[in-house]
Amino acid sequence: MEVEEITIREKVKDYIQQATFIDKDKIRDDSLIFKEGYFDSMGFVLLITFLEENFNIKTNDSDLVEENFESINSITNFILRKKNN
Amino acid sequence: MDQKRAFSKDLIVLRDIESVINNITEKLRQDVLIDFKRSGGVVGISGGIDSSVCLALAAKAFGHEKVLGVIMPEKDSSPESEELAIELAKKFKVKTVKEDITGALTGFRCYERRDEAVKRVFPEYDPNTYKMKIGIRQSGLFSNLPPVFTLTIIDKEGKQQDKILHISEYLQIVAASNFKQRSRMSILYYHAESLHYAVIGTPNKHEQEQGFFVKYGDGGADVMPIGNLYKSQVYQLAEYLEVPASIIERTPTTDTYTAVQTQEEFFYQLPFNLMDIYWYGYENGYTPGEVAGVMGETETRVEALFKNFERKRRTTDYLRMPPIREYYRFM
Repeated sequence: MEVEEITIREKVKDYIQQATFIDKDKIRDDSLIFKEGYFDSMGFVLLITFLEENFNIKTNDSDLVEENFESINSITNFILRKKNN
Repeated sequence: MDQKRAFSKDLIVLRDIESVINNITEKLRQDVLIDFKRSGGVVGISGGIDSSVCLALAAKAFGHEKVLGVIMPEKDSSPESEELAIELAKKFKVKTVKEDITGALTGFRCYERRDEAVKRVFPEYDPNTYKMKIGIRQSGLFSNLPPVFTLTIIDKEGKQQDKILHISEYLQIVAASNFKQRSRMSILYYHAESLHYAVIGTPNKHEQEQGFFVKYGDGGADVMPIGNLYKSQVYQLAEYLEVPASIIERTPTTDTYTAVQTQEEFFYQLPFNLMDIYWYGYENGYTPGEVAGVMGETETRVEALFKNFERKRRTTDYLRMPPIREYYRFM
């Protein structure tokens, strides 16, 4: 795993832990954070704002699909894809 | 013990509308006249189906001479709303008063605060030449992902632009717009108190349970006679009470933003008849499988829909809660 990917993953994980008050150990990288109800719609909007501001990416309407946000893994991959485009 | 009925699309159809209406009007008399010791009711009428049914129910409960219909337009309201409200009041022989709240809203800087946030998203936005509205991204309800809000502006030629709303702009636009419902609530209580009447609130079951109301705005009232009725049941009552057809046939709108916006596109994301039956299934413990079979949907999609309902209910609990005062008890 590249250093950049590890940094992104940790930052995302820290943010999710702070935003949801859920113990960091309980959220695995493949936990389905929306399906399991950790985030509501306001939480989702806040997450998007966090990603855009911290990783200097722009989210488009077409990006808002489950595959990009369902877990820490998918969010990390989404950010990496965005940054490499 | 009651046997749970098999899930079907017509489970929520009211079979004896007259007795439903009698129950509601009897309780209205008990609550307002006997318990609250008020002499009648004030209803804010918008030309929409919910407030129209509430006015008709209040007139039936208290007598038309003990009900006041308050029409509260502001500069963004559709003129049709006022026309329909007047038609309704005439039909039920209820006295009306018109209170234009534009001045109050200007005083609160409602429009200025809202437009300031819109301009941060679309710098070219000019409230004199553009219309605006907030919507939600439509594909979300059967997905595990919560909806996101979008801002739409429409210029004079009808050219439309949409952008995903970030949190600070979304919150500012909503907070500013909520001055409208809260100003209306203040006016309603002015008239209620000056007549020694109660305020008859107009939210229906979905608005209440999904949190589609403004706390201390349209959520601020003394009684809510249709607060436990599904939207399709409200329509059944409207037909029975002979609410004017022009109101029954009108598509429910928010009448809050300058651009026309249906309640479905702003909040519900499903037509009312479908929302009603899915919500009934969800709150009465039918499994996604039982509901999916009847509705011609997949179990996975209905499961996601139920999770959305659960999320909506949970995240709007705060709106329905009264102020908490149990912090210290002096013994």
